[in-house]
Amino acid sequence: MRAGFAGLNRAGLLAVLEIRRMLVNWGELAFGLALPVVLFALMYGAFGQDVVFRGTAQVVDRDGGAEARAFVEQLDALPEISVRERSLSDAERALDRSAILLAIVIPPGFSEGLERGETVSLRFLQHGNGGDEGQVVAALARAVALGLAREAGLRTQLAAALGEGEVSLTQDLRRQIDATVAELRTAGPAVGVQVRMIDEGNPDFIHRMVAGLLVMFVMFSVTLSSQYLVEERQLGTLERLLTTRMNARELFLGKFLAGIARGAVQAVLLLVLAFGTFRLGGVAEFGGMLLLTALLLAAVSAIGLVIGALAQTPDQASWAATFLTTYMAIFGGNFIAISGEGVLGWISQFTLNRHVIDAMIAVLSQGESAWQQVGAIALMLVTALLGLLLARWAFRFSDAGAVA
Amino acid sequence: MAEDFLQVEQLSKSFGETEVVAGVSFRVQRQEIFGLLGPNGAGKTTTIRMLATVLQPTAGEAFIGGHSLTAAGAAVRRLIGVCPQELALYPELSAQDNLVFFGRMAGLSGKEARAAAQENLEVVGLLEVAGRRVATFSGGMKRRVNLAISLMNRPQLLFLDEPTVGIDPQSRNRIFETVEGLRDEGVTILYTTHYMEEADRLCDRLGIMDQGRLIALGSPQELKATIGDPHQVTLEQVFLELTGRRLRDTA
Repeated sequence: MRAGFAGLNRAGLLAVLEIRRMLVNWGELAFGLALPVVLFALMYGAFGQDVVFRGTAQVVDRDGGAEARAFVEQLDALPEISVRERSLSDAERALDRSAILLAIVIPPGFSEGLERGETVSLRFLQHGNGGDEGQVVAALARAVALGLAREAGLRTQLAAALGEGEVSLTQDLRRQIDATVAELRTAGPAVGVQVRMIDEGNPDFIHRMVAGLLVMFVMFSVTLSSQYLVEERQLGTLERLLTTRMNARELFLGKFLAGIARGAVQAVLLLVLAFGTFRLGGVAEFGGMLLLTALLLAAVSAIGLVIGALAQTPDQASWAATFLTTYMAIFGGNFIAISGEGVLGWISQFTLNRHVIDAMIAVLSQGESAWQQVGAIALMLVTALLGLLLARWAFRFSDAGAVA
Repeated sequence: MAEDFLQVEQLSKSFGETEVVAGVSFRVQRQEIFGLLGPNGAGKTTTIRMLATVLQPTAGEAFIGGHSLTAAGAAVRRLIGVCPQELALYPELSAQDNLVFFGRMAGLSGKEARAAAQENLEVVGLLEVAGRRVATFSGGMKRRVNLAISLMNRPQLLFLDEPTVGIDPQSRNRIFETVEGLRDEGVTILYTTHYMEEADRLCDRLGIMDQGRLIALGSPQELKATIGDPHQVTLEQVFLELTGRRLRDTA
């Protein structure tokens, strides 16, 4: 009993030593903490707010009249649009090589027609449907043209009401009409364009992104924990440790705990940021995510130790850990939902990511508790236990592990 | 008659088909400094690694303080201190923290480990820089930290594997003084080195190994007498006579 406690104590001391070594290495610590914050900030920028549309209207003014200029100016005044004027031939060449997908052509006679109260048309030259940007620009152009037509109609109606043609308008009255129309123009329209993908607005999408990012970061711990033993070998401290009272079981337990603790620093930071920003839920959801994350960290730390026990050099350990992390990220559906069918679905069953992300989404989206995720919890516990046993077994075949 | 604290009997180690240590036998008395000499690849370090419980012998046995190496590794570890040939330190930590950590691993309480660290840092002349990170130390200072760590559990048998490689004369001299002081306190020491004058000065008895075998055993005077007048002959001449002049580049 006493010996067992002393062993646990030594394993704990070894874990604390790893944490201390991380803390005194300011560069590594800052990088380790900054990385999740930066990635989270990118994620927030990409998915955490509405996306405001910004587009360029390619305009060919073949009219050159007052109404045509007014159209260009009003279009350019919209906050979402900047105007680039082109000649017709230039616009056609750009369309031919698909440099642009839509050009707005103001035909000759546009201004005169509007001033006479006639129906006039803008021409849209476009590739296919003009692309997403083109469609939005075209819609805004239509709105501006409609406003101009209404202005022209208003002028015509006012002139008619005042009997223009029979009674000539005074210069003062004409100026008054123009001033009123200009005032109406600047007063509106106040409609902007915000584009929001349906998926991105869906809470499930945010939940998947948060779970995917979190799991990806936890998976990085494979690389860290795979380096522990290799690094200890290189420093020469592994043999020295094994000539003390520490045995291999305590050594692995200490490294295992260190792997969990180091990964937990990043994971908790990421969880706090995600819950604070996206309001993912309350204490139950946070606790559930924390539990699933801790179990995944345990599994990942044990896998890293297996790699570390087998690898003879830091490069071997790094490559093996990178391969495993990449495999898990690609086939585990970190950021895309994978159906259970097909080859991808079959392969994804052999990743931790798939199971733990599904469990996390169930906690976040479906209101389930972490304890209901029996399959994922069992998988991670079994992986952690088997990983530790396998790492210890593999270590026996190394020089240093033969006796210990 | 003095007690044999270390008894090595037909100890062997093979890696695959290669026999690195072939049936080595010798005894070391309590409070004796026993030198193990040999060219590169002779099997000295492998022998020490086996005696330090790091490597499992392929055959043979050894007893340390009466405990079987193969059957009672944990009891053996309580008696030994190991100063490996390569530095075995955590460079990010201070000298004090390195010593305290390994002291805790050797079974000392926190208080005991801190006290022992102070004491051993003083022994190796590093007390004033105890709080400095080891990464900032010179090679000689690191060697002395390496030695101080091996003293943390007050070992009865100390393995020193080439403890003076690549250091300045001052650090080397301090290590000699430390080793002699430990012997005077009752510690038994197994010492390997390539420096013959070092072995001549420190060791009570010597074993010369070559190609995994122990080819000569005796005091420096006895070994010198095998090839001439012990007052005229140097230990280096004995070594070259026994092991030949062919270069040994085996790792």
